[in-house]
Amino acid sequence: MNSQKETTVITREQDVVELDQTPASLPSEKIEAKAEPKKESKTAHRKPVPRTSKKELGMLAKSASEFAKKQLAPDREENDKFPFGPYFDHVLEKAFGVDFFHILLPENMNGMNQGLSALSVTLDNICQEDSSLGGVMFTTAAAQELMFAAGAGSEVEKIASKTNVNEFVIGLPVFNNPSEVKHIAQYKKAGDTYTLSGDLGYMVLGGMAKQALIPASRLGSSKFSYFLVDLTQSGVMKSEPILSLGLHACPAVDLTLSNARGILIGEEGNGAVYFEKMADRMHVAAAAMSLGIMKGSFKEAFDYAKKREQGGHTIINWSEVKMLLSNMAIKITNAEMILERACKAVDSHEPRWEARSRAAALHIQEMACELTTDGIQLLGGVGYMKDFGQEKRFRDAKHVQALLGIAPVKKIKFIEKMI
Amino acid sequence: MIAKSEINMFLNRAPHFDDITCSLKSTARQPKAMLKETRELVALARKFKEEVMKPLTLEMDRTMQKDPDYLPWEFVKKANDWGFYTLWIPRIFGGKGYNAPSMSYFLEELGSECLGLSNVIGVHYLAVVTTFASWNIRLINQLCREVAEGQRTGKPCLLSLAITEPGAGTDVEEVELVDQGNVSCKATKVEGGYSISGTKVFISSGHISRWHIVICYEDLKKPSDTMMIVAVKTGSKGFSFGKKEHKMGVKVCPASELVFDDCFVPDDLVLMNKKQNLAMRRTTKQTCCQIIDYVVSASRAGVAAWGTAAARGAFECALDYALKTEVNGKLLVNHEWAQAMLAEMYKNVAVSRLTYAETNYANGLYGMYKSIQFKPVFYYFKYVPQIIIDNIIDPILKLNITTWLFRKIQLDGQTDQEFHRTSGWGSLAKFSGTDAGVKNCHMALEMMGQDGLRQNNRAEKMLRDAKLLQIYEGTNQLNRINLFKCLVASGHSDVRVFEHE
Repeated sequence: MNSQKETTVITREQDVVELDQTPASLPSEKIEAKAEPKKESKTAHRKPVPRTSKKELGMLAKSASEFAKKQLAPDREENDKFPFGPYFDHVLEKAFGVDFFHILLPENMNGMNQGLSALSVTLDNICQEDSSLGGVMFTTAAAQELMFAAGAGSEVEKIASKTNVNEFVIGLPVFNNPSEVKHIAQYKKAGDTYTLSGDLGYMVLGGMAKQALIPASRLGSSKFSYFLVDLTQSGVMKSEPILSLGLHACPAVDLTLSNARGILIGEEGNGAVYFEKMADRMHVAAAAMSLGIMKGSFKEAFDYAKKREQGGHTIINWSEVKMLLSNMAIKITNAEMILERACKAVDSHEPRWEARSRAAALHIQEMACELTTDGIQLLGGVGYMKDFGQEKRFRDAKHVQALLGIAPVKKIKFIEKMI
Repeated sequence: MIAKSEINMFLNRAPHFDDITCSLKSTARQPKAMLKETRELVALARKFKEEVMKPLTLEMDRTMQKDPDYLPWEFVKKANDWGFYTLWIPRIFGGKGYNAPSMSYFLEELGSECLGLSNVIGVHYLAVVTTFASWNIRLINQLCREVAEGQRTGKPCLLSLAITEPGAGTDVEEVELVDQGNVSCKATKVEGGYSISGTKVFISSGHISRWHIVICYEDLKKPSDTMMIVAVKTGSKGFSFGKKEHKMGVKVCPASELVFDDCFVPDDLVLMNKKQNLAMRRTTKQTCCQIIDYVVSASRAGVAAWGTAAARGAFECALDYALKTEVNGKLLVNHEWAQAMLAEMYKNVAVSRLTYAETNYANGLYGMYKSIQFKPVFYYFKYVPQIIIDNIIDPILKLNITTWLFRKIQLDGQTDQEFHRTSGWGSLAKFSGTDAGVKNCHMALEMMGQDGLRQNNRAEKMLRDAKLLQIYEGTNQLNRINLFKCLVASGHSDVRVFEHE
């Protein structure tokens, strides 16, 4: 995909700046000046990310929407049966083939070299039909971002060269912030070799990805580090896929590690910093998933309300139904505006872009949970059944709200950063 | 201070004093033994929860996700062995005769562990209540005694209630709407009975019930004037089970499609129809409305109890998690924001419980339970020797005059204001309790983050289960309008409800 070259230039170095070092009044030039230099090779850095034009975003949206309608919608209920039904490998391969996993990667890594606006518009359209694929895309992008934040672009580059989707995607416990709840393994260092042991719960994509980023701490240390671990090695045991609330086709497993070898990502003890940097950017992508779910739920409810009759009239003509639909439409309209603005702030590194990214996600995720409840309600009994997508969207919306950590803790953290 | 003549005048103003003081009025009237019975049943429910339900809850939910066509016969047998299908059937009809309001507390206990399993017990009584709302004593006696016999022989005899149709959900819950609705379950008079044709959907416990209490209509163009209630036995010619719905939650309690294809129902299995209604003071439409209100006033208290159960189950999940999980270096329960959330959840449970309790008080004063909670009747039914029931009362119950007498007392004796009061409270409890249930489940999942998403931690199941409560037994939207109709609009002559705009 072509990119416009004349737009704002953001280098990877900017990502090193701490969130609490970014007051609203601080211009981006100063942020860049404060950034620490990296020691990685040239390929370890993401090349300048041009701002995606409206036209390009429109093309991406169209492409994602067509893909979702053709590849996801027809088999949504079947794909949701995993782990008790087959996995949708073929859909994943097709999504990989059309570069949905390459959006944030730089061109020198076979990527699209796009920003969060592009990823968000894609996730929005994908999640309107089935957010499980969105979950796979999100997890992989989050892992890529985390490695970039740690200055481990060279590891991303190695993985990005893979042509098989299972070798390309990266597992990450993306529903937990290891700083909050210590779902982490332990590691030992012997010379240049790191080995990991212990249990690591809820590794998203752990059952299918060749590799995963695993948070681990050294015995007696309160800090943790990230390690890139080959999940096919003998020191890694995987549970059966975990039966979960939503995103069934974006499954997780529990890992048991026994002296599994891992590659240190970034510097020892800096895992929390890398997670926060990744989360700053990826919150808008999580919000985009919620927005997509909202749109899907509204469309289903709106279409149904125009057909279903009760009391001798189509239910859309009962004002209580109109009110419910209107509340849904208002939420979506607001969420669209918020997300578009937040994505722009992230991609342009506007002052307080990190806060805007997080605020957008917290708000939109909450709205999605409310909206999908009404989305079922408007269909009555059938909304609760598997035949329509509404019950799945309700589950998925709640599931997505847990991305990147515990919702109330994320809120507390938001104000703490302002204090 | 105030003249005696003024008191009624002021108390009749909105909100009507009697509308808002059911509990106050009940305290002096209720038999004391009700408390003792309720204590015993709550303890029994806790024992059953520990010994039977806890090991099954998650395993059965997982089984149902793997095989949606699985039926919970093993659990039904267990509940039957514990005597749960006769607990609230009066002794004169062969049951154990516990007081009806105690059922709400019992269902809350079980539901706080698993709403699905609690439903497998509770929806049986939804159908039992419907038979009682017809006050057809002869047939009530026949059906209830078969349930009791099922318990004695170890062959469970459950009842289901079939109202909802493919084209009519909300419509059939509300008499004001049913005439404009798209009902299709037709009863045609034939020699010796009726021929029933049509389909019922989303029938809780359909596949595991022996008897089905079916609402059908003699004239599909005038359903409110021709509504009838019949009992159809599984295995009857022309009756079959259709598909079993694949639901998001409450999976263990099947939602069934019932298909009637020229299904013959003899006259003696008709609980209520237009002909029987001729002896009543109200028109068929009014009686139809009254019977539906009788049923939902009681059943919605039960659904509110499940809402309370969901709220409580979610609260307990969240509290348990907060007590053993460190967040940001200290136990989650010691974060002040978490304490505030847990307090809010506790409040949701407590307030929901108060709403179903108040509804039960209303039913005891003005509705379904009025005559059986009248102290002399209550204690007589409680202590009358079995030999007298079998040899004297049972033959009397089979007489048509007994049905006539009960209908005179329970149906004709109830004023419109009284059934509005019980119905209004039923709706208030239903949507308050179930909204609180869903709300608490959301809060629990928010507190638990990643750990809340796992089926084996129970919180996500509670959310999936709780959502159904906002839909069935009349959507919460319908219940809001019904509350308005019953407790607000009745005092204003210009107000019209269910009027299309």
